Amino acid sequence: MITRPHQNTNKPKKSLSFVRISFWHGSLILIFTIFISRLFYLQVIKHDFYQKVALSGQLKQYDIPAERGIIRAHDGSNIVPIVLNEKRFNVIADPKLIKDTQKTAEILAPAIDKKTEDVKGQLSHNTRYEILAKKLTKDQIEKVNKLDLIGVFADEIPVRTYPQGSLASQLLGFVDDGLLGKYGIEQYLDKTLSGTPGRLKAITDQKGVPLLAVGDNISIDPIEGDDVVLTVDIGMQRQLEDILKSGLEYAKSESGSALIMEVNTGAVKAMANYPTYDPTDFSKVEDSKLFTNAAVSSPLEVGSVMKPLTTAAALQLGVINKNTTYYDPSRFRVDDINITNIEEDGGAGTRSIADILQLSLNTGATWLLMQMGGGTINEQARVSWYNFMVNKYGFGSLTGIQQGYETGGTIPDPKIGFGLNIQFANTAFGQGMTATPLQMGAALASVINGGTYYKPSLVDKTISKDGKVNVVAPQIVRSNVVSKSVSQEMQELMQYVVSKNNISAVRKGYMVGGKTGTAEIPKKEGGYYNDRFNGTYIGFVGGKTPEYVIVVRVNEPKIAGYAGAQAAAPIFSKLSNMLIDNFNISPM
Amino acid sequence: MTYSSSLSIGRQRFSRRNQNSVTFKKESLRLGPVSNSVVLIILACLLGLVYLTQVTKTNAYSYQIRSLQTEQKSLKDERDELEVASARLQALDTIKNNAQSQSLVSVAPSSTIQN
Repeated sequence: MITRPHQNTNKPKKSLSFVRISFWHGSLILIFTIFISRLFYLQVIKHDFYQKVALSGQLKQYDIPAERGIIRAHDGSNIVPIVLNEKRFNVIADPKLIKDTQKTAEILAPAIDKKTEDVKGQLSHNTRYEILAKKLTKDQIEKVNKLDLIGVFADEIPVRTYPQGSLASQLLGFVDDGLLGKYGIEQYLDKTLSGTPGRLKAITDQKGVPLLAVGDNISIDPIEGDDVVLTVDIGMQRQLEDILKSGLEYAKSESGSALIMEVNTGAVKAMANYPTYDPTDFSKVEDSKLFTNAAVSSPLEVGSVMKPLTTAAALQLGVINKNTTYYDPSRFRVDDINITNIEEDGGAGTRSIADILQLSLNTGATWLLMQMGGGTINEQARVSWYNFMVNKYGFGSLTGIQQGYETGGTIPDPKIGFGLNIQFANTAFGQGMTATPLQMGAALASVINGGTYYKPSLVDKTISKDGKVNVVAPQIVRSNVVSKSVSQEMQELMQYVVSKNNISAVRKGYMVGGKTGTAEIPKKEGGYYNDRFNGTYIGFVGGKTPEYVIVVRVNEPKIAGYAGAQAAAPIFSKLSNMLIDNFNISPM
Repeated sequence: MTYSSSLSIGRQRFSRRNQNSVTFKKESLRLGPVSNSVVLIILACLLGLVYLTQVTKTNAYSYQIRSLQTEQKSLKDERDELEVASARLQALDTIKNNAQSQSLVSVAPSSTIQN
């Protein structure tokens, strides 16, 4: 110890100020120790607990819906929207929050166009979520919002809107309340149209605003659905629907279908069924059959419209040529069943290939089948004709058109079963087999366009929201269905039929060919009705070359006469004239 | 009291035995332990404050973003509404039934001529 003279070496006395300072120093440390200990307890030891509590209130996670793509169609050279999205609103109530249900109902009911008792009844339910009104417009919901009622909220929902009304309704389909496409294009292209929803998982403030400072937020933007441009021309579609409807009324038929397809691309320009419905009010439709596009979903025994295809097959196989004649006995007996013709065809006699079509000889079609078997109906004939129907014309299989619930029809097996010869004899004139109008149209197109079978298509292109265009090119399914020379011969034969049987369709300078069909309707228990028939017509129209195929179907017309000639043929004539007059078909 | 006597009284505070009372050198300022603690605590609080201000500022951008998103959505909804209205006005039934169309005459041939 260092000492100095006169240094007081006793223990120095601590001054009062030092004590006071030490006291406050100690107190400060103690207080902060308490704080830090408490903070440690809350933030470290009880971390998980409080994090859970905080997240339950702050963490919001939900899917961000993607906007559904718009469906567009052609209108001449323009492209116009025919199915769009619209914001609508549901009025929701939380009955638990409503103290005076009577008063609330009285105020709210007029705004949502409902009866006060009905609204009061709903508000009295023991639930936290009650939908009081659906799909209100923006103006309507503003009226509700202005009422500022406790426990009553507006919920925004996307709704499909159809400005063209019931135009092409079955072809388009609709979107149900669960935002799923049903029937038609909406169903087939549901994934393309609906896009991919986004996701938000974020810490938010009291108002639900995601906080940027939190690094773990997940925010994935939705991928909006692609827009779809159809091959359909709405002007042609409207004309087809009007002509079909008036034609069915004239024929006293309750239902029918018609379609127009481009011969050289497979693009369907118009397709309609009657009766139809308004997709906006799909929930009001009682019979779900109304939703189906019968032109692709409802196969039928097509009748004599099959004869041009049978003739083309025989020509292609080389078993006949266009100048071949034969003796028609007016009756063929096959498997103990007589195949005969209608009375107007007259009796036995020498017939030409043109006569088979123009007189619509069932015996003629049977004879064609016999030629495929070397003179009789045998396995060779059946297999040859089956091969044509299934592997060339595409019967019995789906075409792959962009429609929900397409059906492929049925073709009998050429080797398995009973009474195969009579079965196949029937198929030669369109009975004993089924096909849809679309399949018939695609098959005829392949016969008259030089032998190329194009896949029928309703979609021209898709456009993503970032502008990427994906064009759907015409797809060749098979070539050499028939040779070019056979195709030319069939054009001439079918034009001959129209010139003889359907004068109203003939137009100078244009080629119009066709064939009627009057098909017996099968009974469920077997056999056919004597007094119930469907009328069909297939044909084409063009200038120098065929441009459009037209198929018409009239279900059980009550008009007197043969269904094909009296019911279906007039509709075809009006459609072919409509195309010539309105859709830029260049004359020969 | 004179000036010099007041100075001398002041100096007496520092007087000890053998203390030089003519000239004085101020001792350099030193922080004691208490002051150290207080300064540290104040610095920690300031740091916390800086952190809070930065976080708050960042989160304030969230509101701007939300505001812009709301505006964008509003404009998009307006555009969609106009597109729907335009499509409705151009609908075939609307055109067919409007007063102008009612007075139009069809130019389609009413019959065909066959040679």
